[in-house]
Amino acid sequence: MTLFCVRKWALSVSLFETYELGGFYDELMQAPGVPQTHSRALMTHLQSMSPLEFAQRARLAETLMMQQGITFNVYGADGGVERAFPFDLVPRVLTSHEWETIEQGLTQRLTALNLFLWDIYHEQKILKDGVVPRALVMGAAHFRREFMGADPPGGVYVHICGTDLIRDTDGKFYVLEDNLRTPSGVSYMLENRAILARVMPQLFQDMGVRPISDYTAHLLNNLRALAPAHRGDDPTVVLLTPGVYNSAYYEHSYLAQQLGIPLVEGRDLIVEENIVFMKTTHGLKRVDVIYRRVDDDFLDPLLFRSDSKLGVAGLVNAYRAGNVALANSIGTGVADDKVIYAYVPQIIKYYLDQEAILPNVTTYPAFEDSHRAYILANLDKLVVKAANESGGYGMLMGPQASLSEREVFAELVKANPRNYIAQPLIHLSRAPAFVEPGRFEGRHVDLRPFALCDRDLKVTIVPGGLTRVALKKGSYVVNSSQGGGSKDTWVLGKESSHAQS
Amino acid sequence: MLSREADACFWIGRYVERAEATARMLDVHYHATLEGVPGMLAWESVLAIADCAEDFHKHHDQLNERTAIQYFVFDTSNPGSIVSALTYARENARSIREMVASEIWECLNMVYLELKEWDVDRALAGTPHAFFTKIKNAAHLFHGITYRTQLLNETRDWLRVGTFLERADQTVRLLDVKYHDLLPATRAGKPEIGGLGVGGPADIHGWIAVLRSVSAFEMYRKTHREGIHPAGVVDFLVLNPIFPASVRYSIGQTEEALRRVSGTSPSSPATCDPERLIGRLRAELNYARADEIIVAGLHEYLESVQKRCTEIGGSITKTYLSYQ
Repeated sequence: MTLFCVRKWALSVSLFETYELGGFYDELMQAPGVPQTHSRALMTHLQSMSPLEFAQRARLAETLMMQQGITFNVYGADGGVERAFPFDLVPRVLTSHEWETIEQGLTQRLTALNLFLWDIYHEQKILKDGVVPRALVMGAAHFRREFMGADPPGGVYVHICGTDLIRDTDGKFYVLEDNLRTPSGVSYMLENRAILARVMPQLFQDMGVRPISDYTAHLLNNLRALAPAHRGDDPTVVLLTPGVYNSAYYEHSYLAQQLGIPLVEGRDLIVEENIVFMKTTHGLKRVDVIYRRVDDDFLDPLLFRSDSKLGVAGLVNAYRAGNVALANSIGTGVADDKVIYAYVPQIIKYYLDQEAILPNVTTYPAFEDSHRAYILANLDKLVVKAANESGGYGMLMGPQASLSEREVFAELVKANPRNYIAQPLIHLSRAPAFVEPGRFEGRHVDLRPFALCDRDLKVTIVPGGLTRVALKKGSYVVNSSQGGGSKDTWVLGKESSHAQS
Repeated sequence: MLSREADACFWIGRYVERAEATARMLDVHYHATLEGVPGMLAWESVLAIADCAEDFHKHHDQLNERTAIQYFVFDTSNPGSIVSALTYARENARSIREMVASEIWECLNMVYLELKEWDVDRALAGTPHAFFTKIKNAAHLFHGITYRTQLLNETRDWLRVGTFLERADQTVRLLDVKYHDLLPATRAGKPEIGGLGVGGPADIHGWIAVLRSVSAFEMYRKTHREGIHPAGVVDFLVLNPIFPASVRYSIGQTEEALRRVSGTSPSSPATCDPERLIGRLRAELNYARADEIIVAGLHEYLESVQKRCTEIGGSITKTYLSYQ
């Protein structure tokens, strides 16, 4: 370690020679050639590598991912193709202090959103008190009228959540969106760590990176605890996937494997007299808990989309009868609607009597006349989003869009104001990413930590998350379907010894 | 275990075995044609073994090493090609990757990715033997990893049911076709009892090639020290109780795996149709004699075994794999 101690903290040649901050907050650098204090040891390691060596490690990582099939499916005209999930080897580092804020903020937010869901599917106090406009909730695409008055175990609706955070030029974290339906990405969080530790073990030295491998243990405990009480202490938990053609199939199989539970498709299940069974080589076996990765719309052809081949007829009635538990529950999408999002700070205040620890991005819901006028007049400065799209679809990046693209969105907003919001363009923070032929350049990143909520409303968040990175130069779109990749995300322990000088 | 998953395991076993058998067969025939082994009608008989002469001629005018290798290795429209079999095996593995050890999936994924880098030109430009060895080794790796990592549970049983049922089927096909190639007299219905006197030098080469194509040559030598002769080859490939590619051994292993699934022993009464069918076949193989089979008509015998393998496969699907 003495080798590193004698170095000065100004980074000199090689990989960082041409690195520029470009006016953005940088996760690892505070000024050209000067790393953030907490990333010094890491940068010294990176600095000591030649571009060729780094490129070789990057290729090794890619080979490992292809071999393990860590891929995602890109939907297209030809039925989709399989691609390795692009992975950048430079980790993103969060201090223990930063993490503390994130952890508290997300815990607060998820708790409030669960209370909100219980309320709107029961007494609707928050609507009666006029804190959230009733029409917004009732008109939300993912509000499930059929599910009014149903009682999920412990009254908890969202057990698994992946919230997207971004950091502005001021270095402050903001919540960009809540994903309360079937959030994905946690397998990449876990695999990124495993792969980075294999190809760049030296990076971890002296950093005090907190482990994340207990995620699946927490998840399994929480799922098992959801089983109907009379089903004994060894309930059958399964993961329901839409199948191999789903873009997140890799994650489904990975999680089922890590949890040691069966991975089932809709056609493997059958409901008889409100009890869910799976079809095995030894007849029918009762199922107690379903970690479902199939959206509400496709879950039960009897209640929702009747053309769905992915779901199970009768599943919702079995759920309502209390014979099977679902995670997440039905109807959670109403709370991650991008218009309802604008009200989350008020929701937190209403149920918890607290100010939001993690602020929202300023949001203009188009259904309010004044906001709509502002949006239409400022399309070239705003980001416009449809209320229920995800994956970077249904979105206008005003400052980068062409005139005709903006005109299309102007018409969309006018035609259906309830369905659109606008936000100022946030200048997402950047972190160094390796680019061919052999140097680092800043690329924009976001952060999706994964929170788990048990049936007693206790929230657990493993210290880490998925850092998505827009690998295209200048791009703000981090979605994997649109050229995004990911990074390992490190949360440092309190006692880490990186502050040597 | 879910029926769908058992089905996927069963077919992974079959497809991997099919790919390996095809690679072996092509390897041996390629080299037999190079050495000009007489009596080996080479590529025609490969078409006959796979029972796909008609389909082949729809796609190709000429039958030579290039078109044969293209058809049997790379042609994705041929469901029996090596690429097709390994693609299906991988797709099935992908649908149950949480059931099997990661290494099993990775092994099938890697050979699939590797094959994407190959075409007929590349295979012929290097040594085709090296290419076929690659396929065979992938299959060996698959079996080795399974042996070493997979729990001794139903997942493994279904992989074995598929593997050994396919192996029995492949050995039967190979022997049926080659026996006809090498002993034209039998086609006219004149059985060659024992056949010790038949083998001139040409026949010997042919039989050696047959044994080699199931990696049986050296093991045959150890078992039949009297030398290479048709009845000996039939005895070894069909009835030998301890040679891993013999029909008898393969059917025995299939039966044992099926019995593990139902939790019963092969010596206890059958509990379902697949057990009844396979128990009967195994009993017959246990007590048959090669010279009797040849006298009664080898072709008819092999045809009947093949038909029964198909019947057993159908019965397994009906009983276990397609939940009604």
